[in-house]
Amino acid sequence: MAVVIKVDRLTKSFGKVQAVKGVSFSVKKGEIFGIIGPNGAGKTTTLEMIEGILKPDSGTIDVLGLTPNKELQQLNQRIGVQFQATSIQKKMKVKEALDLFAAFYPGKVMKQQLVEMLGLEEKMNVRFEDLSGGWKQRVTLALATLHQPEIIFLDEPSMGLDPHARREMWTLIRRLREKGSTIVLTTHYMEEAEQLCDRVAMIYSGELKAMDRPSALLEQSGAMLITFQSDDFPYVKLPTMPGVVKVEKEEDTFKVYSDDLQLTSYHLFTYGHQENLSLNHFQFTKGTLEDLFVQYLEKEEAK
Amino acid sequence: MNVVWKLAQLETKMFFRDRLSVFWTFLFPVVMIWLFGSMFGDNAEGNFSFAALFVPSWIGVNIVTTSFFTLGTVLAGYRETGVLRRYQSTPLQPWKILAAHTVQGTVIFLCSALLLLVFGMLLYDLELPLYIGSTLAALFLSIAAFFPFALFITSLAKNTQSAAAISSLFLNVMIFLSGATFPLEMMPEVLQYTARILPLYYVIELLRGTWNEAPIMEYGLESMVLIGIAVVSTILAARFFRWSGQ
Repeated sequence: MAVVIKVDRLTKSFGKVQAVKGVSFSVKKGEIFGIIGPNGAGKTTTLEMIEGILKPDSGTIDVLGLTPNKELQQLNQRIGVQFQATSIQKKMKVKEALDLFAAFYPGKVMKQQLVEMLGLEEKMNVRFEDLSGGWKQRVTLALATLHQPEIIFLDEPSMGLDPHARREMWTLIRRLREKGSTIVLTTHYMEEAEQLCDRVAMIYSGELKAMDRPSALLEQSGAMLITFQSDDFPYVKLPTMPGVVKVEKEEDTFKVYSDDLQLTSYHLFTYGHQENLSLNHFQFTKGTLEDLFVQYLEKEEAK
Repeated sequence: MNVVWKLAQLETKMFFRDRLSVFWTFLFPVVMIWLFGSMFGDNAEGNFSFAALFVPSWIGVNIVTTSFFTLGTVLAGYRETGVLRRYQSTPLQPWKILAAHTVQGTVIFLCSALLLLVFGMLLYDLELPLYIGSTLAALFLSIAAFFPFALFITSLAKNTQSAAAISSLFLNVMIFLSGATFPLEMMPEVLQYTARILPLYYVIELLRGTWNEAPIMEYGLESMVLIGIAVVSTILAARFFRWSGQ
Protein backbone atom coordinates (compact mmCIF):
# COMPACT_ATOMS: atom_id res chain seq x y z
CA MET A 1 0.00 0.00 0.00
CA ALA A 2 1.24 3.45 -0.93
CA VAL A 3 2.04 5.89 1.83
CA VAL A 4 0.00 9.10 1.57
CA ILE A 5 1.19 10.90 4.68
CA LYS A 6 4.63 10.78 6.15
CA VAL A 7 5.44 12.75 9.27
CA ASP A 8 8.96 12.83 10.62
CA ARG A 9 10.11 14.15 14.01
CA LEU A 10 7.50 16.87 14.16
CA THR A 11 7.70 19.51 16.89
CA LYS A 12 5.65 22.58 17.68
CA SER A 13 5.64 24.98 20.60
CA PHE A 14 3.27 27.74 21.56
CA GLY A 15 5.32 30.12 23.65
CA LYS A 16 6.83 28.01 26.40
CA VAL A 17 4.43 25.13 25.97
CA GLN A 18 5.74 22.32 23.81
CA ALA A 19 2.56 21.00 22.25
CA VAL A 20 4.13 18.36 19.99
CA LYS A 21 7.48 16.74 20.74
CA GLY A 22 9.08 14.77 17.94
CA VAL A 23 6.14 12.81 16.55
CA SER A 24 6.74 10.49 13.57
CA PHE A 25 4.30 8.24 11.74
CA SER A 26 2.96 7.45 8.32
CA VAL A 27 -0.51 6.75 6.95
CA LYS A 28 -1.22 4.32 4.13
CA LYS A 29 -3.68 4.84 1.30
CA GLY A 30 -7.18 3.69 2.14
CA GLU A 31 -6.67 3.52 5.89
CA ILE A 32 -8.81 4.94 8.64
CA PHE A 33 -6.08 6.25 10.88
CA GLY A 34 -6.90 7.51 14.35
CA ILE A 35 -4.96 9.90 16.51
CA ILE A 36 -6.10 9.36 20.05
CA GLY A 37 -5.28 11.02 23.32
CA PRO A 38 -6.84 13.09 26.08
CA ASN A 39 -7.86 16.71 25.58
CA GLY A 40 -4.83 18.94 25.21
CA ALA A 41 -2.53 16.08 24.20
CA GLY A 42 -1.46 17.71 20.94
CA LYS A 43 -3.82 15.86 18.59
CA THR A 44 -5.33 18.91 16.94
CA THR A 45 -1.97 20.65 16.69
CA THR A 46 -0.52 17.60 14.95
CA LEU A 47 -3.48 17.42 12.59
CA GLU A 48 -3.33 21.12 11.75
CA MET A 49 0.34 20.89 10.88
CA ILE A 50 -0.46 18.06 8.47
CA GLU A 51 -3.28 20.13 6.97
CA GLY A 52 -0.81 22.97 6.40
CA ILE A 53 -2.58 25.45 8.64
CA LEU A 54 0.16 25.48 11.26
CA LYS A 55 3.84 25.64 10.46
CA PRO A 56 5.92 23.07 12.33
CA ASP A 57 8.92 24.33 14.35
CA SER A 58 10.96 21.41 13.07
CA GLY A 59 10.51 18.06 11.37
CA THR A 60 9.15 17.25 7.93
CA ILE A 61 5.70 16.47 6.60
CA ASP A 62 4.88 14.95 3.24
CA VAL A 63 1.22 14.74 2.24
CA LEU A 64 0.53 13.32 -1.25
CA GLY A 65 4.02 14.43 -2.24
CA LEU A 66 3.42 18.00 -1.10
CA THR A 67 4.82 20.05 1.77
CA PRO A 68 1.59 21.23 3.40
CA ASN A 69 2.40 24.69 4.71
CA LYS A 70 4.31 25.62 1.54
CA GLU A 71 1.96 24.15 -1.08
CA LEU A 72 -1.33 24.72 0.68
CA GLN A 73 -3.18 25.80 -2.44
CA GLN A 74 -2.48 22.55 -4.30
CA LEU A 75 -3.01 20.49 -1.18
CA ASN A 76 -6.42 22.04 -0.51
CA GLN A 77 -7.65 20.79 -3.88
CA ARG A 78 -6.92 17.25 -2.80
CA ILE A 79 -7.80 17.09 0.89
CA GLY A 80 -10.99 17.74 2.81
CA VAL A 81 -11.07 19.02 6.37
CA GLN A 82 -13.71 18.95 9.04
CA PHE A 83 -12.57 21.15 11.88
CA GLN A 84 -13.45 20.82 15.48
CA ALA A 85 -15.94 23.50 16.47
CA THR A 86 -15.95 25.58 13.35
CA SER A 87 -19.07 26.82 11.83
CA ILE A 88 -20.37 28.16 8.60
CA GLN A 89 -22.41 31.36 8.39
CA LYS A 90 -25.34 31.04 10.79
CA LYS A 91 -27.90 32.31 8.33
CA MET A 92 -26.71 30.23 5.40
CA LYS A 93 -29.05 27.48 4.24
CA VAL A 94 -27.71 23.98 3.77
CA LYS A 95 -28.38 24.14 0.04
CA GLU A 96 -26.51 27.42 -0.27
CA ALA A 97 -23.54 26.11 1.67
CA LEU A 98 -23.26 23.07 -0.58
CA ASP A 99 -23.47 25.25 -3.72
CA LEU A 100 -20.90 27.69 -2.40
CA PHE A 101 -18.37 25.06 -1.42
CA ALA A 102 -18.93 23.20 -4.69
CA ALA A 103 -17.89 26.40 -6.49
CA PHE A 104 -14.52 26.37 -4.69
CA TYR A 105 -13.40 23.25 -6.54
CA PRO A 106 -12.69 23.25 -10.25
CA GLY A 107 -13.41 19.56 -10.83
CA LYS A 108 -16.60 17.56 -10.56
CA VAL A 109 -18.24 17.39 -7.16
CA MET A 110 -20.45 14.65 -5.81
CA LYS A 111 -23.08 16.88 -4.28
CA GLN A 112 -26.16 14.86 -5.11
CA GLN A 113 -24.57 11.62 -4.00
CA LEU A 114 -23.61 13.11 -0.63
CA VAL A 115 -27.03 14.65 -0.10
CA GLU A 116 -28.53 11.19 -0.51
CA MET A 117 -25.92 9.41 1.55
CA LEU A 118 -26.17 11.87 4.44
CA GLY A 119 -29.94 12.23 4.16
CA LEU A 120 -29.66 15.99 3.79
CA GLU A 121 -32.58 16.28 1.35
CA GLU A 122 -35.10 17.27 4.03
CA LYS A 123 -32.77 19.90 5.50
CA MET A 124 -31.76 21.69 2.31
CA ASN A 125 -33.74 24.84 3.10
CA VAL A 126 -32.87 24.99 6.79
CA ARG A 127 -30.44 27.60 8.06
CA PHE A 128 -27.28 26.33 9.70
CA GLU A 129 -28.17 27.99 13.04
CA ASP A 130 -31.42 26.01 13.18
CA LEU A 131 -29.80 22.58 12.80
CA SER A 132 -29.10 20.28 15.74
CA GLY A 133 -25.53 19.26 16.54
CA GLY A 134 -25.77 16.00 14.64
CA TRP A 135 -27.06 17.66 11.49
CA LYS A 136 -24.42 20.36 11.73
CA GLN A 137 -21.76 17.64 11.80
CA ARG A 138 -23.31 16.02 8.75
CA VAL A 139 -23.33 19.29 6.85
CA THR A 140 -19.71 20.09 7.67
CA LEU A 141 -18.81 16.52 6.77
CA ALA A 142 -20.52 16.99 3.40
CA LEU A 143 -18.63 20.26 2.85
CA ALA A 144 -15.36 18.52 3.61
CA THR A 145 -15.99 15.68 1.16
CA LEU A 146 -17.78 17.32 -1.77
CA HIS A 147 -14.77 17.21 -4.07
CA GLN A 148 -13.96 13.55 -3.40
CA PRO A 149 -10.73 14.35 -1.60
CA GLU A 150 -7.94 11.81 -1.52
CA ILE A 151 -7.51 12.38 2.21
CA ILE A 152 -10.22 13.45 4.64
CA PHE A 153 -9.21 14.94 7.98
CA LEU A 154 -11.80 14.79 10.73
CA ASP A 155 -11.11 16.49 14.03
CA GLU A 156 -13.31 14.90 16.69
CA PRO A 157 -16.06 13.97 14.20
CA SER A 158 -18.47 12.65 16.78
CA MET A 159 -17.93 15.21 19.51
CA GLY A 160 -21.22 16.21 21.04
CA LEU A 161 -23.23 13.54 19.25
CA ASP A 162 -25.49 11.13 21.07
CA PRO A 163 -24.57 7.42 20.89
CA HIS A 164 -27.00 6.76 18.06
CA ALA A 165 -25.81 9.67 15.94
CA ARG A 166 -22.23 8.63 16.69
CA ARG A 167 -22.81 5.16 15.26
CA GLU A 168 -24.38 6.67 12.18
CA MET A 169 -21.36 8.93 11.80
CA TRP A 170 -19.11 5.85 11.89
CA THR A 171 -21.12 4.21 9.14
CA LEU A 172 -20.79 7.34 7.04
CA ILE A 173 -17.05 7.51 7.61
CA ARG A 174 -16.67 3.86 6.56
CA ARG A 175 -18.63 4.55 3.41
CA LEU A 176 -16.38 7.47 2.56
CA ARG A 177 -13.45 5.13 2.86
CA GLU A 178 -15.17 2.64 0.56
CA LYS A 179 -15.44 5.43 -1.96
CA GLY A 180 -11.68 5.58 -1.99
CA SER A 181 -10.63 8.22 0.51
CA THR A 182 -7.99 7.83 3.18
CA ILE A 183 -9.28 9.04 6.52
CA VAL A 184 -7.34 10.61 9.38
CA LEU A 185 -9.31 11.43 12.48
CA THR A 186 -8.69 12.49 16.03
CA THR A 187 -10.83 11.36 18.88
CA HIS A 188 -10.81 11.06 22.61
CA TYR A 189 -13.55 8.46 22.54
CA MET A 190 -11.66 5.20 22.81
CA GLU A 191 -14.65 3.23 21.66
CA GLU A 192 -14.65 5.21 18.45
CA ALA A 193 -11.00 4.41 17.84
CA GLU A 194 -11.59 0.72 18.53
CA GLN A 195 -14.64 0.40 16.30
CA LEU A 196 -13.60 2.59 13.45
CA CYS A 197 -9.85 2.80 13.05
CA ASP A 198 -7.54 0.42 11.24
CA ARG A 199 -4.60 1.81 13.14
CA VAL A 200 -4.29 4.27 15.96
CA ALA A 201 -1.51 6.51 17.18
CA MET A 202 -1.73 7.28 20.85
CA ILE A 203 -0.51 10.74 21.74
CA TYR A 204 -0.07 11.98 25.24
CA SER A 205 1.57 15.26 26.29
CA GLY A 206 2.81 15.82 22.77
CA GLU A 207 4.59 12.49 22.40
CA LEU A 208 3.68 9.41 20.42
CA LYS A 209 3.25 6.66 23.03
CA ALA A 210 2.08 3.75 20.91
CA MET A 211 0.92 2.98 17.41
CA ASP A 212 -0.69 -0.14 15.98
CA ARG A 213 -3.97 -1.81 15.14
CA PRO A 214 -6.33 -1.32 18.08
CA SER A 215 -6.53 -5.08 18.72
CA ALA A 216 -2.74 -5.46 18.59
CA LEU A 217 -2.30 -2.57 20.99
CA LEU A 218 -4.57 -4.33 23.43
CA GLU A 219 -2.75 -7.64 23.14
CA GLN A 220 0.72 -6.19 23.49
CA SER A 221 -0.17 -4.03 26.40
CA GLY A 222 -1.31 -6.97 28.44
CA ALA A 223 -4.44 -5.09 29.17
CA MET A 224 -6.12 -8.37 29.98
CA LEU A 225 -8.30 -8.53 32.96
CA ILE A 226 -10.42 -10.68 35.15
CA THR A 227 -13.84 -9.59 36.22
CA PHE A 228 -15.95 -11.18 38.88
CA GLN A 229 -18.67 -10.32 41.33
CA SER A 230 -18.36 -10.81 45.03
CA ASP A 231 -19.89 -9.13 48.04
CA ASP A 232 -17.38 -10.36 50.58
CA PHE A 233 -14.01 -10.45 48.84
CA PRO A 234 -11.60 -8.13 50.71
CA TYR A 235 -10.47 -5.40 48.31
CA VAL A 236 -7.18 -4.80 50.11
CA LYS A 237 -6.09 -8.38 49.56
CA LEU A 238 -6.23 -8.16 45.75
CA PRO A 239 -3.28 -5.87 44.91
CA THR A 240 -0.92 -8.12 46.87
CA MET A 241 -1.74 -11.20 44.80
CA PRO A 242 0.75 -12.47 42.22
CA GLY A 243 0.48 -10.96 38.76
CA VAL A 244 -1.97 -8.22 39.71
CA VAL A 245 -1.26 -4.84 38.14
CA LYS A 246 -4.27 -2.84 39.16
CA VAL A 247 -7.67 -3.33 40.73
CA GLU A 248 -10.89 -1.44 40.23
CA LYS A 249 -14.09 -1.96 42.12
CA GLU A 250 -17.55 -0.76 41.34
CA GLU A 251 -20.26 -1.87 43.76
CA ASP A 252 -19.74 -5.64 43.91
CA THR A 253 -17.93 -5.96 40.56
CA PHE A 254 -14.16 -6.28 40.60
CA LYS A 255 -11.87 -5.58 37.65
CA VAL A 256 -8.46 -7.11 38.16
CA TYR A 257 -5.75 -6.21 35.65
CA SER A 258 -3.07 -8.83 35.55
CA ASP A 259 0.03 -9.62 33.53
CA ASP A 260 -0.49 -13.33 34.18
CA LEU A 261 -4.16 -14.26 34.11
CA GLN A 262 -3.65 -17.91 34.90
CA LEU A 263 -1.48 -17.29 37.94
CA THR A 264 -3.73 -14.60 39.31
CA SER A 265 -6.82 -16.72 38.79
CA TYR A 266 -5.23 -19.64 40.62
CA HIS A 267 -4.49 -17.48 43.63
CA LEU A 268 -7.93 -15.87 43.52
CA PHE A 269 -9.67 -19.22 43.60
CA THR A 270 -7.35 -20.67 46.23
CA TYR A 271 -7.83 -17.69 48.51
CA GLY A 272 -11.56 -17.69 47.90
CA HIS A 273 -11.77 -21.37 48.69
CA GLN A 274 -9.71 -21.10 51.91
CA GLU A 275 -11.71 -18.16 53.23
CA ASN A 276 -15.00 -19.49 51.91
CA LEU A 277 -15.75 -16.38 49.82
CA SER A 278 -18.19 -16.17 46.95
CA LEU A 279 -16.86 -15.58 43.42
CA ASN A 280 -19.58 -15.14 40.81
CA HIS A 281 -19.59 -14.40 37.07
CA PHE A 282 -15.89 -14.96 36.91
CA GLN A 283 -14.51 -14.22 33.43
CA PHE A 284 -11.48 -13.27 31.42
CA THR A 285 -12.06 -10.18 29.35
CA LYS A 286 -10.08 -8.25 26.87
CA GLY A 287 -9.59 -4.69 28.01
CA THR A 288 -10.79 -1.81 25.95
CA LEU A 289 -8.62 0.98 24.60
CA GLU A 290 -10.19 3.02 27.35
CA ASP A 291 -8.63 0.75 29.96
CA LEU A 292 -5.33 0.79 28.16
CA PHE A 293 -5.46 4.49 27.98
CA VAL A 294 -6.14 4.94 31.65
CA GLN A 295 -3.19 2.65 32.36
CA TYR A 296 -0.92 4.82 30.24
CA LEU A 297 -2.06 7.96 31.97
CA GLU A 298 -1.51 6.47 35.38
CA LYS A 299 1.97 5.31 34.48
CA GLU A 300 2.66 8.80 33.21
CA GLU A 301 1.48 10.42 36.41
CA ALA A 302 3.47 7.99 38.54
CA LYS A 303 6.69 9.17 36.90
CA MET B 1 -14.30 35.48 -10.38
CA ASN B 2 -17.31 33.21 -10.41
CA VAL B 3 -16.66 32.32 -6.76
CA VAL B 4 -16.31 35.97 -5.71
CA TRP B 5 -19.65 36.73 -7.30
CA LYS B 6 -21.36 33.74 -5.77
CA LEU B 7 -20.05 34.53 -2.29
CA ALA B 8 -21.01 38.21 -2.64
CA GLN B 9 -24.54 37.23 -3.66
CA LEU B 10 -24.89 34.84 -0.73
CA GLU B 11 -23.54 37.34 1.78
CA THR B 12 -25.96 39.98 0.49
CA LYS B 13 -28.85 37.54 0.86
CA MET B 14 -27.77 36.72 4.40
CA PHE B 15 -27.47 40.41 5.25
CA PHE B 16 -31.15 40.85 4.45
CA ARG B 17 -32.02 37.86 6.64
CA ASP B 18 -30.70 39.77 9.66
CA ARG B 19 -33.37 42.27 10.66
CA LEU B 20 -31.12 44.24 13.00
CA SER B 21 -28.55 45.06 10.37
CA VAL B 22 -31.28 45.98 7.91
CA PHE B 23 -32.68 48.38 10.49
CA TRP B 24 -29.36 50.06 11.31
CA THR B 25 -28.26 50.32 7.71
CA PHE B 26 -31.46 51.38 5.99
CA LEU B 27 -34.00 52.72 8.44
CA PHE B 28 -31.85 54.38 11.08
CA PRO B 29 -30.40 57.03 8.69
CA VAL B 30 -33.85 57.76 7.31
CA VAL B 31 -35.21 58.21 10.82
CA MET B 32 -32.27 60.45 11.73
CA ILE B 33 -32.77 62.67 8.71
CA TRP B 34 -36.44 62.89 9.48
CA LEU B 35 -35.66 63.83 13.13
CA PHE B 36 -33.09 66.43 12.19
CA GLY B 37 -35.41 67.58 9.45
CA SER B 38 -38.16 68.31 11.97
CA MET B 39 -35.63 70.32 14.01
CA PHE B 40 -33.73 72.23 11.32
CA GLY B 41 -35.87 71.56 8.25
CA ASP B 42 -36.88 75.16 7.77
CA ASN B 43 -33.81 77.18 8.58
CA ALA B 44 -31.50 76.64 5.69
CA GLU B 45 -27.83 77.18 6.35
CA GLY B 46 -26.30 79.78 4.06
CA ASN B 47 -27.40 79.19 0.53
CA PHE B 48 -28.14 75.54 0.95
CA SER B 49 -31.28 73.76 1.97
CA PHE B 50 -31.36 71.36 4.89
CA ALA B 51 -31.54 68.32 2.68
CA ALA B 52 -28.71 69.42 0.41
CA LEU B 53 -26.41 69.32 3.42
CA PHE B 54 -27.86 66.49 5.46
CA VAL B 55 -28.52 63.84 2.85
CA PRO B 56 -24.93 63.78 1.49
CA SER B 57 -23.70 63.77 5.10
CA TRP B 58 -25.76 60.77 6.04
CA ILE B 59 -24.74 59.01 2.88
CA GLY B 60 -21.21 59.59 4.13
CA VAL B 61 -22.13 58.26 7.58
CA ASN B 62 -23.59 55.20 5.89
CA ILE B 63 -20.21 54.47 4.37
CA VAL B 64 -18.86 54.29 7.92
CA THR B 65 -21.74 52.12 9.09
CA THR B 66 -21.34 49.73 6.17
CA SER B 67 -17.60 49.45 6.49
CA PHE B 68 -17.48 49.00 10.24
CA PHE B 69 -20.58 46.90 10.78
CA THR B 70 -21.57 45.16 7.56
CA LEU B 71 -17.93 44.40 6.75
CA GLY B 72 -15.67 44.73 9.78
CA THR B 73 -17.78 43.36 12.59
CA VAL B 74 -19.22 40.58 10.45
CA LEU B 75 -15.76 39.42 9.41
CA ALA B 76 -14.57 39.62 13.03
CA GLY B 77 -17.49 37.33 13.84
CA TYR B 78 -16.50 34.96 11.05
CA ARG B 79 -12.99 34.93 12.46
CA GLU B 80 -14.26 34.12 15.93
CA THR B 81 -16.75 31.41 14.97
CA GLY B 82 -14.37 29.64 12.59
CA VAL B 83 -16.06 30.54 9.31
CA LEU B 84 -12.80 31.92 7.95
CA ARG B 85 -10.86 28.98 9.29
CA ARG B 86 -13.20 26.70 7.41
CA TYR B 87 -12.32 28.57 4.22
CA GLN B 88 -8.66 28.19 4.98
CA SER B 89 -8.71 24.51 4.05
CA THR B 90 -10.39 25.09 0.71
CA PRO B 91 -8.76 26.44 -2.45
CA LEU B 92 -10.48 29.80 -1.83
CA GLN B 93 -7.83 32.54 -1.60
CA PRO B 94 -8.12 35.31 1.02
CA TRP B 95 -8.31 38.10 -1.56
CA LYS B 96 -11.43 36.52 -2.98
CA ILE B 97 -13.10 36.58 0.42
CA LEU B 98 -12.22 40.23 0.89
CA ALA B 99 -13.29 41.03 -2.67
CA ALA B 100 -16.64 39.30 -2.19
CA HIS B 101 -17.30 41.21 1.02
CA THR B 102 -16.28 44.46 -0.66
CA VAL B 103 -18.76 43.83 -3.47
CA GLN B 104 -21.46 42.98 -0.95
CA GLY B 105 -20.69 46.09 1.12
CA THR B 106 -20.78 48.28 -1.99
CA VAL B 107 -24.13 46.90 -3.09
CA ILE B 108 -25.68 47.38 0.33
CA PHE B 109 -24.22 50.85 0.65
CA LEU B 110 -25.51 51.89 -2.78
CA CYS B 111 -29.00 50.66 -1.87
CA SER B 112 -28.95 52.72 1.32
CA ALA B 113 -27.65 55.79 -0.52
CA LEU B 114 -30.38 55.46 -3.11
CA LEU B 115 -32.97 55.17 -0.35
CA LEU B 116 -31.72 58.36 1.29
CA LEU B 117 -31.68 60.15 -2.04
CA VAL B 118 -35.27 59.23 -2.82
CA PHE B 119 -36.37 60.04 0.72
CA GLY B 120 -34.71 63.46 0.51
CA MET B 121 -36.22 64.19 -2.87
CA LEU B 122 -39.72 63.23 -1.78
CA LEU B 123 -39.82 64.97 1.59
CA TYR B 124 -37.32 67.77 1.42
CA ASP B 125 -37.12 68.77 -2.26
CA LEU B 126 -33.57 67.49 -2.52
CA GLU B 127 -32.07 67.97 -5.96
CA LEU B 128 -29.76 65.54 -7.71
CA PRO B 129 -26.04 66.27 -7.27
CA LEU B 130 -24.77 69.20 -9.30
CA TYR B 131 -21.80 67.18 -10.52
CA ILE B 132 -23.07 63.62 -10.59
CA GLY B 133 -19.86 62.18 -12.02
CA SER B 134 -17.87 63.90 -9.31
CA THR B 135 -20.20 62.71 -6.58
CA LEU B 136 -19.89 59.14 -7.83
CA ALA B 137 -16.11 59.50 -7.93
CA ALA B 138 -16.22 60.87 -4.40
CA LEU B 139 -18.31 57.89 -3.28
CA PHE B 140 -15.88 55.50 -4.90
CA LEU B 141 -12.92 57.18 -3.19
CA SER B 142 -14.69 57.12 0.16
CA ILE B 143 -15.45 53.41 -0.16
CA ALA B 144 -11.88 52.68 -1.22
CA ALA B 145 -10.65 54.51 1.87
CA PHE B 146 -13.14 53.29 4.45
CA PHE B 147 -13.64 49.61 3.63
CA PRO B 148 -10.01 48.56 4.14
CA PHE B 149 -9.66 51.05 7.01
CA ALA B 150 -12.54 49.40 8.89
CA LEU B 151 -11.38 45.89 7.97
CA PHE B 152 -7.95 46.64 9.38
CA ILE B 153 -9.22 48.27 12.60
CA THR B 154 -11.74 45.51 13.36
CA SER B 155 -9.23 42.76 12.57
CA LEU B 156 -7.30 43.95 15.63
CA ALA B 157 -10.25 43.03 17.83
CA LYS B 158 -10.13 39.75 19.71
CA ASN B 159 -13.79 38.88 19.22
CA THR B 160 -17.08 40.08 17.83
CA GLN B 161 -18.00 42.05 20.92
CA SER B 162 -14.84 44.09 20.94
CA ALA B 163 -15.08 44.60 17.18
CA ALA B 164 -18.61 45.92 17.65
CA ALA B 165 -17.45 48.14 20.51
CA ILE B 166 -14.60 49.58 18.45
CA SER B 167 -17.00 50.12 15.57
CA SER B 168 -19.56 51.92 17.71
CA LEU B 169 -16.88 54.15 19.13
CA PHE B 170 -15.59 55.13 15.69
CA LEU B 171 -19.09 55.62 14.35
CA ASN B 172 -20.27 57.82 17.21
CA VAL B 173 -17.17 59.97 17.37
CA MET B 174 -17.33 60.49 13.64
CA ILE B 175 -21.07 61.17 13.50
CA PHE B 176 -20.82 63.97 16.01
CA LEU B 177 -17.39 65.45 15.35
CA SER B 178 -16.96 65.32 11.61
CA GLY B 179 -19.66 67.85 10.80
CA ALA B 180 -22.05 65.23 9.53
CA THR B 181 -24.82 66.04 11.95
CA PHE B 182 -23.95 69.27 13.75
CA PRO B 183 -22.36 72.04 11.74
CA LEU B 184 -18.73 72.40 12.76
CA GLU B 185 -19.14 76.17 12.97
CA MET B 186 -21.28 75.62 16.05
CA MET B 187 -18.44 73.92 17.86
CA PRO B 188 -15.49 75.19 19.89
CA GLU B 189 -12.34 75.81 17.88
CA VAL B 190 -10.51 72.81 19.37
CA LEU B 191 -13.16 70.45 18.10
CA GLN B 192 -13.12 72.07 14.70
CA TYR B 193 -9.47 71.10 14.40
CA THR B 194 -10.07 67.65 15.86
CA ALA B 195 -12.57 67.03 13.10
CA ARG B 196 -9.78 67.26 10.58
CA ILE B 197 -8.06 64.13 11.90
CA LEU B 198 -11.24 62.10 11.36
CA PRO B 199 -11.42 60.47 7.93
CA LEU B 200 -15.16 61.03 7.73
CA TYR B 201 -14.59 64.80 7.72
CA TYR B 202 -13.01 64.52 4.27
CA VAL B 203 -15.74 62.25 2.99
CA ILE B 204 -18.40 64.74 4.09
CA GLU B 205 -16.55 67.70 2.60
CA LEU B 206 -16.22 65.87 -0.72
CA LEU B 207 -19.80 64.66 -0.86
CA ARG B 208 -21.39 67.95 0.17
CA GLY B 209 -19.06 69.87 -2.09
CA THR B 210 -19.59 67.86 -5.24
CA TRP B 211 -23.30 67.66 -4.53
CA ASN B 212 -23.79 71.41 -4.20
CA GLU B 213 -20.80 73.43 -5.33
CA ALA B 214 -17.95 72.23 -7.47
CA PRO B 215 -16.50 69.21 -9.32
CA ILE B 216 -14.11 66.88 -7.52
CA MET B 217 -11.06 68.51 -9.12
CA GLU B 218 -11.57 71.47 -6.80
CA TYR B 219 -11.10 69.21 -3.78
CA GLY B 220 -7.49 68.16 -4.20
CA LEU B 221 -6.60 67.98 -0.52
CA GLU B 222 -9.68 65.96 0.47
CA SER B 223 -9.17 63.51 -2.41
CA MET B 224 -5.49 63.08 -1.61
CA VAL B 225 -6.21 62.38 2.06
CA LEU B 226 -8.73 59.68 1.10
CA ILE B 227 -6.37 58.14 -1.47
CA GLY B 228 -3.67 58.10 1.21
CA ILE B 229 -5.97 56.36 3.70
CA ALA B 230 -7.03 53.88 1.00
CA VAL B 231 -3.45 52.91 0.13
CA VAL B 232 -2.16 52.67 3.70
CA SER B 233 -5.13 50.75 5.06
CA THR B 234 -5.26 48.34 2.12
CA ILE B 235 -1.65 47.46 2.81
CA LEU B 236 -2.29 47.12 6.54
CA ALA B 237 -5.49 45.09 6.06
CA ALA B 238 -3.72 42.67 3.69
CA ARG B 239 -0.63 42.48 5.89
CA PHE B 240 -2.57 41.74 9.06
CA PHE B 241 -5.29 39.50 7.62
CA ARG B 242 -5.85 36.59 9.97
CA TRP B 243 -7.88 33.43 9.42
CA SER B 244 -8.54 32.81 13.07
CA GLY B 245 -8.37 34.50 16.42
CA GLN B 246 -5.38 32.55 17.68
